[in-house]
Amino acid sequence: MAAADPLPRYRPAEFAVRFDEVTVERGGISILDRVSAIAPKGSCTAIIGPNGAGKTTLLLALLGEIDYRGRIVFGADGRPPRIGYVPQRLAFDRGMPLTVAEFLAMGFQKKPLWFGIDTALRRRAMEALTLVKADHLAGRIVGALSGGELQRVLLALALRQEPDLLVLDEPSAGVDFQGELIFCELLDDLRRQRGFTQLMVSHDLATVTHHATHVICLNRKVAAEGPPRQTLTDDNLTAIFGMHMGLVNSRSMPGDRAVCSAPCCQERSDA
Amino acid sequence: MPDLSPLYNLLAQLLPFDCLQARFMQQALAGLLLLAPMTAAMGILVVNFRMSFFADAISHSAFAGVALGLLLALDPDWTMPAFGLLVGLGIMLMQRSSNLSSDTVIGVFFSAMVAFGLAIVSRDRSLARDLQRFLYGDILTISDGQIIALMGLFLTLMTFQALSYNRLLYIGLNPTLARAHRVRVAALQYLFAGLLALIVMFAVQAVGVLLVTALLIVPAASARNFARSAGAMFWWTLLISLSSAVAGLVLSAQDWARTATGATVILVACGWFALSMLAVAHRREQPL
Repeated sequence: MAAADPLPRYRPAEFAVRFDEVTVERGGISILDRVSAIAPKGSCTAIIGPNGAGKTTLLLALLGEIDYRGRIVFGADGRPPRIGYVPQRLAFDRGMPLTVAEFLAMGFQKKPLWFGIDTALRRRAMEALTLVKADHLAGRIVGALSGGELQRVLLALALRQEPDLLVLDEPSAGVDFQGELIFCELLDDLRRQRGFTQLMVSHDLATVTHHATHVICLNRKVAAEGPPRQTLTDDNLTAIFGMHMGLVNSRSMPGDRAVCSAPCCQERSDA
Repeated sequence: MPDLSPLYNLLAQLLPFDCLQARFMQQALAGLLLLAPMTAAMGILVVNFRMSFFADAISHSAFAGVALGLLLALDPDWTMPAFGLLVGLGIMLMQRSSNLSSDTVIGVFFSAMVAFGLAIVSRDRSLARDLQRFLYGDILTISDGQIIALMGLFLTLMTFQALSYNRLLYIGLNPTLARAHRVRVAALQYLFAGLLALIVMFAVQAVGVLLVTALLIVPAASARNFARSAGAMFWWTLLISLSSAVAGLVLSAQDWARTATGATVILVACGWFALSMLAVAHRREQPL
């Protein structure tokens, strides 16, 4: 029955992740309702939707952190990918004496940290930090970092894992001006160089419009999915966000009118 | 059983205090020197995992473990650690599978263990005399058999620590991040809880139920204040734990002191903690 599924579904041949009828319920309340969507291989896939739409829940299901019904399939071979995960906020004990260099080494080093960090691992940690323009943070205590600095360090850790799939939850939340530049431009470049797939949750429609190659509009169900130009239409946006979408539209709609509010794009358009 | 006299003689030569010439003092020193590094290493993770209440609940199950042994006519030296291990794994299992907060789960176990121990003691008055031994501990009565058991635990635990310290630190920082980094969080948490339960049960014999948590957390808490990295924190904890153990034992045996050894060890460690707070205050005054 074609009428049962009125939304046109975009289905590229190669995918990095396929969500297949993923349903999450908690205490009898449905959080995700039969979500079927994909993240094409090598894409920058953005999950957008209003607050409470289940965006973070979908990421947590992907990471195996919560129980769900349905299936999450990785790639054509089904082999679990290396996942680099950058959480929106890291809940941790800020009093723990742990340097940024130790933080970046502890998941890789077999030798206990009591005996210091391996020279090779320290060098690679520094390389990852340099990549996100945070090399000056190596000796700092993780608990003393600002929100933006911490997110850069978390990104360095995720990249250090040489991920097949980079999962970012609200990458620009709490990031300072320079940090946002990094998240926009650096990730675009790295993704092309290294060929990983980027899956991110974002609130910022303008950034999504400009940087994402694939969009999943989520509001407990998948409202629309596909390339930004075809997906972020007036109708779809109104359907998931409700009214008042005209405001965002005028700034962020694809095509010649597109103006990304992210600083990197502002700079680019000024130049 | 192997003869431990050469070890005791060596200890007496290395630390030539008058009070350490008696055999029971040498045994106590050997026991403490084995116990202190273990509680130090585990204590770091207890502090990072915020598991001090967990350790407390295990220690309070000690008496129930002994009572159970007497009830079933089994050797309490074995039923106590075995029971502690079961309680530790039980708490871990329940924490992971129920929606209750972890302090609620531990609180329930805690009360059940204390009530069970008291119920059995109340049936048999002769047991009540043993209660005091568990409340205050007595390292001075440690036997060669217990020291050999401690050596076995020492080897197991230090191997585990050396292999898993970094990953346990990762889990302590954030389990979700660790899992995404392919760390086997559940398996390591169970292993950690099991070993922690065993070490707590041995430490109960040394410092007693009331002070066992202090032995775990005070050195690590002080080290947190001194250290500026995770690597340094380990060595600080080890230094504080070992120096408190030796100083506590020697001080408690002085004629002017004659205090309970376990309590004296903890008091020395608390002295370290006070110093560490001064260090923090001093650091705040310095511009970064």
